[in-house]
Formats: sequence, C-alpha cells, structure tokens
Amino acid sequence: MDYSILLAQAVLNGLVIGAMYMLMAVGFTLVFGIMRVVNFAHGEFYMLGAFTGFFTYVYWEIPFVVCLLIAALTIGILGMLVERTLIQPFRSDEMSGMIATLAISVIIQNGAVLLWGPQPRAMPDIVTGTLAIGPFSFPWSRLVVIAAAALIFTAFWLFMQRTRLGRAMRAVAQDTETALIQGIRVNYIYPLAFGMSVALAALAGALMGPVFSVSPFVGLTPMLKAFVVVILGGLGSVPGAVVGGLLLGMIESFTATIFGSLVSDILQLLLVILILLVRPAGLLGQREA
Amino acid sequence: MEGSSTAAIGRDGPRLAPRRRLLPGIALVVVLAAALVLPQLTTNQFYIHLANLMLLNSIFAVSLGLIASVGQISLGHAAFVAAGAYVSALAALSFKLPPILGIVLAGLVTGLAAVLLGKVLLRLRGVYFVLVTFLAGQVFTLIVLNWESVTHGANGLLGIPAISIFGLPLSTRLRFYYFALAAFIIVVTFVWALMRSQYGRAFRSIAENVRLAESSGIDVSRYQIVAFALGSGIAGAAGAAMVHYIRFLSPDSFTFNDSIAYITMLVVGGRHTMIGGVLGALFLTPLPELLRGFVGAQHIIYGVILLCVLLFIPNGLVSIGRSFFSKGSETETPK
Repeated sequence: MDYSILLAQAVLNGLVIGAMYMLMAVGFTLVFGIMRVVNFAHGEFYMLGAFTGFFTYVYWEIPFVVCLLIAALTIGILGMLVERTLIQPFRSDEMSGMIATLAISVIIQNGAVLLWGPQPRAMPDIVTGTLAIGPFSFPWSRLVVIAAAALIFTAFWLFMQRTRLGRAMRAVAQDTETALIQGIRVNYIYPLAFGMSVALAALAGALMGPVFSVSPFVGLTPMLKAFVVVILGGLGSVPGAVVGGLLLGMIESFTATIFGSLVSDILQLLLVILILLVRPAGLLGQREA
Repeated sequence: MEGSSTAAIGRDGPRLAPRRRLLPGIALVVVLAAALVLPQLTTNQFYIHLANLMLLNSIFAVSLGLIASVGQISLGHAAFVAAGAYVSALAALSFKLPPILGIVLAGLVTGLAAVLLGKVLLRLRGVYFVLVTFLAGQVFTLIVLNWESVTHGANGLLGIPAISIFGLPLSTRLRFYYFALAAFIIVVTFVWALMRSQYGRAFRSIAENVRLAESSGIDVSRYQIVAFALGSGIAGAAGAAMVHYIRFLSPDSFTFNDSIAYITMLVVGGRHTMIGGVLGALFLTPLPELLRGFVGAQHIIYGVILLCVLLFIPNGLVSIGRSFFSKGSETETPK
C-alpha cells in the first residue's frame, strides 16, 4: 500500500515536470527544425512568461486563463521582433546564430535582474484542494498543470496539422527551397515560428510559476532539460519532443525517488549520451541527408 | 620566428611582396617587446591579474580553435580545463607532486581522456557533436560535485600550491605573468606550426568538406581525434596552470558558462584563424571590468557589444586586422 502511494506520487510528479519539458522542447525543436537555430535564449522566454504570469495574476487579480493568454501573446510578439531584428541576419551561419541567442539570453536575464531584482518570489497556487481517488490524493494545482499543458499542445498540434499556416511551417521545415518555390513566404514563417516557439516557453513558465518560484534565473534548468529532451527525441521532431519530454519527466521522477536527485541527473545524462551514440538522430528523429 | 616564417613562404609566398611580409614581422616584435616591458611599468596588481587571465583565456580559446579547425565545436571544453585543474591540484595536494610536473601530467591525462572519448563522441558531427560534448561536460560537473571523498564536492579544494621553478615560487602576479606569457607563446607557436604542417592541411580540408576529404584518402576520424586530443590536452594543461595561480578549485570554477565564453571568444575574434581566438580573448576578458562603472547594466552592455560584433563584423575582429595588413586569407576556410 505504501509503495503504491509512492508510485502514484512519482507518476504525478513525472507527469507535471514531463508536461513542462514537453512544452519547452516542442518550441525548441520547432525553431531548430524550421530555422536550424539552437536557441540558447529559450529559457529566458520561459522566465519572462513566468514573470508575466506572476505580475498579471498577483497584481491585477484576473483569471489565470487570461494571464496565460497575455503571457503567450506578449512574449510571442516579443519573440517575433527578436527574430526579425537579431536572428534573421545569421540565417546562413548556424554558429553565429547560436552565439547571438546566447547574447540575447545574457541581455534578457540581466535586464530582468535590473528590473525585478534577483530574489525569488513565491506565487500562490491557482487552485487549492486535492482530488481523492481511493487511497490516493492528488493536489488539483498539479493536475491543472498537466491538463493545461495537454490542452495547449493539442491546440498547437491542430494548428500545425490543419491550418494553411501550420502546413506552410512544416513545409519550410522539410525543405526551405522547395517551400519557397511553392510560394510560401519564408520571411514571414520564420518570425512566426519563433514567436510561437517562445510563446510555448512562456506558457510553460507561467504554468510552472506556482509550482516552483519566479526569479530571473528560473530559465536555465528548463532550457538545459529542453536540450536533453530534444536530443532524446530527435532534433526537429515534434512527436519526439512530446515522447522525450514525458519520458524524461518520468525517468527523472522515478530515479530521483529511488536514488536521489543528484544521481538521477547523472543517470539521465548518461542515458541520453547512450541514445545519441546509438541513434544520433534521436528516438523519433530522421537522419539528415 | 623569422626562420620559420621564411619557411612558410614556400606555400603562399610568391604572391606577396617582401614589404608586406615585413610589416607583420615588425608588428610581432613590437607586441612582444611591449608584452615583456609593460607589466614592469605598472604597480597596479589588478592590471597584471587581468593580463594573466587574458593570456590563459587566449590559450583556452586557441585550443578550442584547434578542435574547431577540424569542423567540430566542443561545448564541453571547460570540462577538460577543469579536469586538468583537478588532476594537477589533487596530485599536488595528495602526492606532493611539483606543480610544474602536475601541469604536464594534466595535459597528458586530459589528452588521453580526449582520445578515448573522441573515439566514441567524434562519430557524431556538426550540431550533434556540439550537443554530446555539452552533455559530457554536464556529466563531468555532476561527477565532480558528487565524488566528495576525492574532490571535496561543492566545498572545493583549498591551499593549492603555486608553481615553483628551480626553487623560485611564482607566487606573485608578476612572476606568474612571465610564466603565462611563455606558455602562451609556446602554445601559439605550436598551433601555428601544426596548422602549417601536413596535419594543418588535412584539418582544413576536413573542415571544408568532410566527404571530399574522406574520398581523397584522408583518415578523417584519425585527424579529428588528433585535433580533439591536442586541443583538450592543451586546455587541460592550461587549466592546471590556472589552478596553481588562482589556488582554489571548486566545481563552479569552470562550468558550462566558461565553455560558452571560450566559444564566444573564438567567434568574436574570428573562428577560422588561430589569431582569432587570441584577439577574442584579449578583447572579451577585460570587457566586463571596463564596464564595471555601469553597475547592474554591465552584463547587458556586454551582451549588446557581443551582438554588435556578430552583426557588424561577421568574420570576427581578425578581419579588421587583416584588411589593415591586407595580407590575404592564408588560413581562412571559406564557408
């Protein structure tokens, strides 16, 4: 009985962090697939999303759903501007593009320290109470995160599969030149994809605000985890990011329960290195030509 | 220096007029003389400390550039620096090994580790290699953090002895400066000579086009392992030298952020030439200090300057110097 409660706890924790990793990794992999840019500033947009969620929810006292929408929109638009002005000049040069995102990350993070100070702030839970099923009890605040992440991903997936714009994005990811010949305006697709990607990161940040705390430095861990997830699932593969995110969340939760969190970190990384060596393109990725 | 530069003329000399070859030679002599004399003229210990860091960072960036010259970028370079530092620090603390031998040992151990790791990791290319070296670096940091019986974990190692040469301890900043300068000159000369040898030509051809190099009979994986081992070994030895200067070492001493800093130096300086890494290190190391007046905003300004260099000087600082000397692109690999 004791074990099953521990098990249920580990599954729930795994799902919560897995959902966050999934949202981070989907955006990260989208940008890589379409633009071939490794975005080191991805975590900073997560952090900005967390702050936007925090300020709108705590100071304006508006419903959390509206806070999420505001975070996604403002950070998404910011992302589009950043792409247009600072990342587009490096389109032909992956390495300089990568360094540029590093510079952007430094600017955003230190800008946040300057504006809001370095100390972490606790954000109140958006819902309270627990759901009791038999001997198990699950806090609603965690279940909401999982449900919201699932909903957000479904919306994203439908957009990518069913709309003209989503199809155009997938076409650009597959083959930019052929997409251009088909009349797709790549110059509009790039900022849009980048904006969507960082909006997903912002949503993840706003959702996780109540779970962890909010500070200018919260973006680093999710970014590193997104890195790992994307390697696990395959660079550029959206289904890979979903599977990889949930898998990593579960592995992390279980190994942390059994061995402690530090050993868990090492095990995760070794596992990913192993996968990378056996299948360089990741679990669900396709080998590059 | 003069002798070896005439030897190199055989390759790309005939196109250059003699006067153009003379100018960089004179510049080199002037810079070297300045590097020898200037530290004697200041009593400000901080400037000398900064100069020491600039020299060490130059070595780190150049060694990373050596790996980059076979078309691979390592995002775990700081892990090799840290590994070298731990090898030498632990050898000095536990076995009383003289630091100068510790530095050699550190270079050998990290170089050997790079050979073994390289055999496995270098099967991956491009962005996959970048990612796997990133992961390997993270694993290293976590192991150092957890292996407390040896590394003392997050508490770090204290009381690491200074280097001493023939009984003369390099315990002052000025004395270490001349040691670092000598190390810097040795490393730069070595890499410069290497890039002009048969190895350098093979490296460049691999960076330009792996498949073409492979089909021309160049053993790509062997050359990549050689470059990776040499670059990592130099980084390990320099890391050891640094730890006997700073005399404190913890898992936070060399992290992911340092790996990024080395790449940044290389790209800002100009990543296709050896001198690029040096220029990047000389420019970026003192930059945060110069911006110290802008309390709070210094990192932001650092980021902005980095972006501006990338946007407006895409080939790195070295391209400015090149147009000054109008020397043509001797080691540049077109991309």
